[in-house]
Amino acid sequence: MENVLMLFGGFQTVFAFDNLAACLLGAVLGLIVGAMPGIGSLAGCALLLPLTYKFSPTTAIIMLGALYYSNMYGGAFSAILLNIPGDSPAVMTSVDGYPMATKRGRPGQALFVSNISSCIGGFIGILILTFTGPALAKVGLLFGPAEMTSLLLMAMTSVGWLMGENPIRGVISTLLGIILATIGMDTLSGSPRFNFGSLYLMGGIPFIPFVIGSVGFAQIIKIMASRGSLSSQLVVNKLTIRGSLPSLSDLKRLLPPALRSGVLGTFVGVLPGAGATTAAFLGYAAQRAFKSKDPLGSGAVEGIAACESANNAAAAGAFAPLLALGIPGSGTGAVLLGGLIMWGLTPGPLLFSKSPDFAWGLIASLYLANLVALAISAGIIPFLVKILSVPVKLMIPLITVVCFVGSYSSSNSMYGVCIMLASGVLGYILDRNKYPIAPMLLAFVLAPMLESNMRKAFIISGGSVDIFFSRPISLAFLFIMMALILFPVIKAIIRALRK
Amino acid sequence: MKKYALILALCALLGGPLFAGGQQGSSGAETGKPWEPSRNVDWIVTSSAGGGSDIFTRVISDIMVKEGFSKATIMVTNKTDGGGEVGRAQVANTSSALADHTLLTFNSGDLMPMVKNTPNRIAMFKPIGVLAVDKQLIFINKTSAYKTFQAVIDAVKGGKKVVMGGSKGDDIATYNLLLSEMKWTETQLPYITYDSTNDALTAILGNHVDIVISKPAASAGYVEAGDLLPILALSTERYTGNLSGAPILSELGYKNVEIPVWRGVVGPAAMSAQAQAYWSDILKKVSETQTWKKDYLEKFKLMSDYKTFEEATAYMTKYQADYMAANGIK
Repeated sequence: MENVLMLFGGFQTVFAFDNLAACLLGAVLGLIVGAMPGIGSLAGCALLLPLTYKFSPTTAIIMLGALYYSNMYGGAFSAILLNIPGDSPAVMTSVDGYPMATKRGRPGQALFVSNISSCIGGFIGILILTFTGPALAKVGLLFGPAEMTSLLLMAMTSVGWLMGENPIRGVISTLLGIILATIGMDTLSGSPRFNFGSLYLMGGIPFIPFVIGSVGFAQIIKIMASRGSLSSQLVVNKLTIRGSLPSLSDLKRLLPPALRSGVLGTFVGVLPGAGATTAAFLGYAAQRAFKSKDPLGSGAVEGIAACESANNAAAAGAFAPLLALGIPGSGTGAVLLGGLIMWGLTPGPLLFSKSPDFAWGLIASLYLANLVALAISAGIIPFLVKILSVPVKLMIPLITVVCFVGSYSSSNSMYGVCIMLASGVLGYILDRNKYPIAPMLLAFVLAPMLESNMRKAFIISGGSVDIFFSRPISLAFLFIMMALILFPVIKAIIRALRK
Repeated sequence: MKKYALILALCALLGGPLFAGGQQGSSGAETGKPWEPSRNVDWIVTSSAGGGSDIFTRVISDIMVKEGFSKATIMVTNKTDGGGEVGRAQVANTSSALADHTLLTFNSGDLMPMVKNTPNRIAMFKPIGVLAVDKQLIFINKTSAYKTFQAVIDAVKGGKKVVMGGSKGDDIATYNLLLSEMKWTETQLPYITYDSTNDALTAILGNHVDIVISKPAASAGYVEAGDLLPILALSTERYTGNLSGAPILSELGYKNVEIPVWRGVVGPAAMSAQAQAYWSDILKKVSETQTWKKDYLEKFKLMSDYKTFEEATAYMTKYQADYMAANGIK
């Protein structure tokens, strides 16, 4: 009950005029920043941070919190409409979102499904944060290198669900992702790997330009190569406001995956180092284990719901370690942490007791930001879908500009643009030869985390693998992983025996 | 028509930021008068926004503008490509009038990877000043089996392995110096490199490592809450306040281990001597303001250590020589 009282105190703080205005401003900016490819929540918060130094800390965090949060909504817009994820957590959204918008001709519904799922996932995350915040953060602490290694190994086996019809092509795509991820600085020894003497490659391949290229720009090359014969694909049914509203059956279909992913996503958000992107991947992969009305990847409502709900829940979950322990769960969290220090607060275990106004004001503002973001996006969706009626000959240069700007702004240099172009060609070649892109992206995100955690675990254990079996959490994940691998085999054997 | 309007609006929205960065003041320095900036100043930070170097830079540039020390517009840009090496190499190679208007935030933690992984050296820059130094401590979790550093020493001597966590750069250098002073091997006291001090602190809060190395500011909240306890100050004298309980190594019968972590500013090698002196003087003025002392040094628990450009050049060069000698880099 105490938490509820504190939360009401928080709402009082938020409903002060300047805080309310900050929350609205943050939500609107977040939508815009999220919708623009390349400028994710990390860059958005980082750009706005210096502006907030003059604000009171509470007003400042409310604005940045709302921005971070509604950013997860905005990222889905360009993922669904243009097949260019607005930020990295939206990568998986494009897998089902884009086909639903184009092949199935239901862009409005796809956007609504994404936003309603975001809202559901977000609420689950914030509710869990409200009632278990500090305790949840302590659970995150139990995850050391050994536990993270087992969890990531389990996650890597879920790549199998993303592979599509041809497993060998899927494995090759996965390995390609791992190979590309090893380029750059070895984080444990601090020495460069596979950089071929290039200063740029020393920092590795940046994820955002890589995604914009291999998903978005590859799409442009594909349309250009087919000389407009794809244009018929982009014809959309009547684009009226009523025509973009989701049906009752859409809502029924999105609910179960959104609820499941909400809980899963919150948990992933709390873990050290795993952010909204990982949560979206895992949410989507987990959906493979459940029934979907349409096959995943062909524009299924369930696919969009599973990843959008997970990434918003993770965004909320990431606040638990940040507020309760002063530990950033993601890159954006780290920026906010820098902000806390600038605003004169000491992040850490005493924040809740020393600055309750601040902590609970932020949590209350997340509730509000969630509703505001849903309301605004519901209002603009009918207009957004009109983007699809722009003729292909204008779309191609427009999207190309978006790809360039997005990849440039990820590190303010042409290096991002070069990576985007190169991965565009790579993505096109893979797609043309029917190699799935999603396993490559998943491996690219997970492999570096897996490597660094596994090596840390081995340093702790002195090279012994016992560490993975002697810790209960780690052992549990290994069991689940084995079950996941063996389940189809056993199923096949039983089926064969019955015959 | 609506379609075109939409496209135009989108283009304007996306293109805006590109042009915003393109304004430049008129160039050309006049002779006779003391040197003053004649165009916008580019201040490069090689780590991302919101991090320690970024805050350091923005506080200084804020003070410069607010106190009217410099009339030039200062644009802080974060260049993180190649772990910062790209930004550093770019500044090193800046020439002509631009060289006088380019600054780079440069710390001991930047120097180490640069010297280790690239052919770039401090001689490729014009040091402008050092503003602050930081030192490190070793902490334990409150539930740790070791309560003092003496207990750690006894455990290692008794054949037990103690795992130490910490961040990159400065922390690793301090760890190596500690190893050689204690005559331990990397198997006796293995070190886990985390991406940031925050990650290392997360690890010790979860009891995944035995001891952790950290600067005072990052660990302040946890010490105050009683979650972490300082057990050794890597310094030549004890800290004050709630860190005063940590002894220094000489109290335990060893030589003190101290690697100063400094924060400074450099310019390109092509920067003129006048510009170097001008910027050095401005940094001195900044270091004397109340805002600097209160909003930066005090808040981040750093020690003031202003060095002029001559002192900074000697200091950074010696630091580089020591680091190269200790790591066998030629």
